Amino acid sequence: MEDYIIEMLHITKEFPGLKANDDITLQLRRGEIHALLGENGAGKSTLMNVLFGLYTPEGGEIKKNGKTVAIKDPNTATELGIGMVHQHFQLVHNFTVLQNIILGAETVRGGFLRLEESRKKVMELSERYGLKIDTDALIEDITVGMQQRVEILKMLYRDNEVLIFDEPTAMLTPQEIDELMQIMKNLSAEGKSILFISHKLNEIKAVADRCTVLRKGKCVGTVETASASKEDLSEMMVGRRVDFAVAKEEAKPGQTVLEVKQLNVTGKSHLKKAVKNISFDVKCGEIVCIAGIDGNGQSELVYALTGLMNTESGSVLFNGEDITKESVRKRNMKGLAHIPEDRHEYGLILDYSLAQNLVLKKYFFDDFQKNGFIDFNAVDEYADKLIEKYDIRSSSGASSSTRSMSGGNQQKAIVARELDYDPKLLIAVQPTRGMDVGAIEYIHKQIIAQRDAGKAILLISLELDEVMNLSDRILVIYEGEIVGQLEPKSTTVQELGLYMAGAKRSDVLTEGRE
Amino acid sequence: MRIAADLLGSTILFGVPLLLVALGGMFAERSGVINLALEGIMIIGALAGCLFLRSANLGGWGVNSPQTAMFIAIIIAGVIGAVFSLLLSFAAINLKANQTIGGTALNQFAPAFAVVLTWAIQGQGQTSITIPTWVRITQANFGFAQSASPGFFENLIFKSFYLTTPIAFILLIASYVILYKTKLGLRLRSCGEHPQAAASVGISVYKMRYIGTTISGFLGGIGGLAFTVAAGSGFQSTVAGYGFLALAVMIFGNWKPLSIFGASMFFAFFKVISSYSGSIPFLPKFENITNSSYIYQCIPYVVTMLVLIFTSKRSQAPLAEGQPYDKGQR
Amino acid sequence: MKKKKPISENAAFAGFLASVGAIVLGLIFGYIMLIVFNPAFANVGIIKILSTGFSTKEKLAKVLYQAAPLMMTGLSVGFAMKTGLFNIGGSGQYLVGAFFALICGVVLKLPWYICLFASMLGGCFWGVFPGLFKSLFNVNEVITAIMFNWIGLFLVNLTLTNIPSALANFYGAATADRTANITAANPTALIPKVWLDKLFNSPYMNISFFIAAIIAVVIYIIIDKTVFGYELKACGFNQKASLYAGINAKRNVVFSMMIAGALSGIGGGIYYLCGTAQYSIIKVLPAMGFNGIPVALLASSNPLGIILSSLFISYIQVGGEALQPEYAKEIIDIIIACIIYLSALSVLMNEFITKMLKAKKEKKDNAALRQSAGASLEAVNAPKEEEK
Repeated sequence: MEDYIIEMLHITKEFPGLKANDDITLQLRRGEIHALLGENGAGKSTLMNVLFGLYTPEGGEIKKNGKTVAIKDPNTATELGIGMVHQHFQLVHNFTVLQNIILGAETVRGGFLRLEESRKKVMELSERYGLKIDTDALIEDITVGMQQRVEILKMLYRDNEVLIFDEPTAMLTPQEIDELMQIMKNLSAEGKSILFISHKLNEIKAVADRCTVLRKGKCVGTVETASASKEDLSEMMVGRRVDFAVAKEEAKPGQTVLEVKQLNVTGKSHLKKAVKNISFDVKCGEIVCIAGIDGNGQSELVYALTGLMNTESGSVLFNGEDITKESVRKRNMKGLAHIPEDRHEYGLILDYSLAQNLVLKKYFFDDFQKNGFIDFNAVDEYADKLIEKYDIRSSSGASSSTRSMSGGNQQKAIVARELDYDPKLLIAVQPTRGMDVGAIEYIHKQIIAQRDAGKAILLISLELDEVMNLSDRILVIYEGEIVGQLEPKSTTVQELGLYMAGAKRSDVLTEGRE
Repeated sequence: MRIAADLLGSTILFGVPLLLVALGGMFAERSGVINLALEGIMIIGALAGCLFLRSANLGGWGVNSPQTAMFIAIIIAGVIGAVFSLLLSFAAINLKANQTIGGTALNQFAPAFAVVLTWAIQGQGQTSITIPTWVRITQANFGFAQSASPGFFENLIFKSFYLTTPIAFILLIASYVILYKTKLGLRLRSCGEHPQAAASVGISVYKMRYIGTTISGFLGGIGGLAFTVAAGSGFQSTVAGYGFLALAVMIFGNWKPLSIFGASMFFAFFKVISSYSGSIPFLPKFENITNSSYIYQCIPYVVTMLVLIFTSKRSQAPLAEGQPYDKGQR
Repeated sequence: MKKKKPISENAAFAGFLASVGAIVLGLIFGYIMLIVFNPAFANVGIIKILSTGFSTKEKLAKVLYQAAPLMMTGLSVGFAMKTGLFNIGGSGQYLVGAFFALICGVVLKLPWYICLFASMLGGCFWGVFPGLFKSLFNVNEVITAIMFNWIGLFLVNLTLTNIPSALANFYGAATADRTANITAANPTALIPKVWLDKLFNSPYMNISFFIAAIIAVVIYIIIDKTVFGYELKACGFNQKASLYAGINAKRNVVFSMMIAGALSGIGGGIYYLCGTAQYSIIKVLPAMGFNGIPVALLASSNPLGIILSSLFISYIQVGGEALQPEYAKEIIDIIIACIIYLSALSVLMNEFITKMLKAKKEKKDNAALRQSAGASLEAVNAPKEEEK
């Protein structure tokens, strides 16, 4: 019999209208690194939240060392020695590293904190596992990589034996990812058992001993990673051989639509520049992609281009016209469309109906209003037209509450609104974030169709596959600077990765453009 | 010098209720609940405390051991304030109701209830409760007689000295220690900044928020009594907007105990200046204007607004304040 | 689309039911209070609360008379709430509005409609501050409004005491602590009574209730039917998305607070231009400003609902006055407080019910989706069976 430290047997977890986990079985051997592979929405996080006591499953049982246990909250999980590094770090921004590590497991005497005793233990752990930290730094002042080390130390501080990593590499640079992989190996060598959630095949191949694959809430199977190829894993994950390349014709770039000259943007913290001296252009009939790891100035660049943020210096030209100081509305009217990064934060007004959201940028047009009064019939007719054209599914058509719609259909609504605007320039920021394969394919086709119709497209993406497949020209952004321009046909993902990590840069670009 | 002692003494006297209530607001907000009900909590606390003092007076024993009676009255004011605040906690924490609306309801309830109750107890139309004169701490309490011509310190200390003042200072220090040096404080603060993070390490956000709001009610209730003894004309079922002022003081003090102390004294000082404006030689008199003290009464509010303009950019409000915490949502 | 109607109607209807529920529970609580404080009169008391407003024409006139300013402050709070702002500054705006109206009426001897317009400008002026502070300096509008309530009170008192011709003693009255009786100073500033005062046999009766009701309808149309209302609501629901759509959210915050202030200001004007009340120079903020909050909450900020809720609040207040001397009339405020508290919870009940309905619907949709995706799911299951 195998020596399993954790067994999750036939777990079923339902949400209203969704079976997130359907009869899933996962067995974790003592001391192994076990990957949990699946697309966004496959049920990976749900399963881990069940193990960590954040969700109560409707069916199935969990065994620790062969004994059935009931994990009803994170406290029970901690008592059982299960710890978790969440995808979004659970750290208090204005607490110190030390305070964050001890929070919830404080050493006290008479209710008073004994920080020095805790510090000693933290430092010991830090040295033993090679996790360098500064215990007195505030979380908001340290890098993402260091924040992750704090999360790992939180688990070690609680003497956890089972460590769950929920998509730990999403926010890291390739170097930090390598470091993390090494840390995970160290931890496993020290006898810790690791569950590693990811949808990145390279990482799984590099570090995991075994891999369980989930698809659409169901368990597809568990394999030894050494004996499975990337292609095998990928097929298990998506269910069919994926044709990675998107069919598209050669680009025929025309006139320059967007021209950015030595743009500087100050970040939200007012301490450092988020965008440094960026210059580039986008011509009609081409897709230019800004590739980079999250948080390297992409958001600020987009906000500056769309008018949501002020620029510090430099200029933005649209069809030769300087729009650097123009309002959002004026930019929109000139033909700038924007699929925003976060559909709930910027893209939609969830309390408005679908129809009201579809006219969010047009409600003041003469077609939809007379003397300041909204023409509701015209709005509904227009909405019905878009719903049919873009196949937006909802419970009750134009009058559906946007909040009740699925994420994919919400995104479709935004895409419909922005494309039907007949823009000259489309700025699409992670347009397929959190969507399933079918919807991704649909949106990619729409974007290419726009390009072929002679629109200029600026795509901002974190997904390397998307970058490689969609773009006609790639600009890599690193710490607010454009560090390279690449042709997708003559470059490799590896080379792109080096640029994104700041390990390589070519200055030819900026010189050539000035 | 006499006037300086009076000014300083009155500043402390009126600063104390602001300090207590603002500290109360701080505990609630640091745990993530906006306590807009402080005004109502003050009234209910003061009502309970004053009713106790009244019965101690009528019973005849109060005059014999005045400070014991006052101490009990303070505790009662605090406890009743804390109990009253549970209504807000229940709506805001368990039911995730709009905290502003819940607070407004409590503010509407408190003065009305106070009037109805005092009316019922004292007979129709009698809505004010007289505070016995023996609650003031005098030189006699320390075993010496009042000087014929009291000096600066005697004036400063004994002109209007109530037990609420030393207790407020003790509570200020205690607040600082609890917030920064204890497990409770660390956990409480984490719930106001990032409740999901707190929950992920097994802290009960609900419990912490209940504790924060209850401490807030306790301090608010005592603050109400402190206000009533300072106002000097008995309990009138109102605290004259001090609960709201305390919220401004709390923001002014950036949600930190020591800064709140400074802010409350600053505020009280301007309040006091307006009532002394006639007798302070260097202040302009506005001789052509009737009731020029209204000008001085505006000053603390205007100054607060000016300060808020300059501080709002680097405000350190707890990130999760006012946001209900949902166990299921992550 | 025809489908649209039933949903919005349902939501409004559910809200109405929740409000009625809150009212019934609030009254039951009030009844318990009556029993606790004076059991002998409890039954008489609750009947008085419930029936006094309709008992005579004079009482009904009083209900309408008080409902008008309440409706205005209620509209003020409700309008701001629709834009995502909490206007707790109704008292200050009401005061400044009343002040402008009184200066125009008593000192400048202008006719009533100009006075009313002036009161609107006054309230609007006082509403600018919370709006500006929020959009320029990001200061919470609640704090600014509280500060400006007091600043408004002191400034109005200061100015009035320094304008002798505004005060009662200038027109022969004995006291100087209040403004002049408008009937004595300038009868043209009185809001017309038409023939209503004779019909109701009450000096309180004039057209103010109808003015307020017309304003409520106008506000309803602005919020629900116009481009401006669409923008304001967009800012209220999601400020970032409204910026993204090119809406000038900062400007709208200021506009919204100005309109909210104007509504409260009219409330002040309407009340004091009736001729039955004189503004007395006191150090307490007028309760009318705060009473707009329960009026708005009870109606879920719907302007048409506010017409009803202001009538209701005014009605039980008139009933409360009839309770004396057995009880203090403040028992009505306890009932109102209880209703606000319950209505804070009823918002939740509404959401809960809607969520339940949605969940049901989604399940259905999902089942349909699954059937269509059945083929691919079978393919998913296949390898798993092999492994076993």
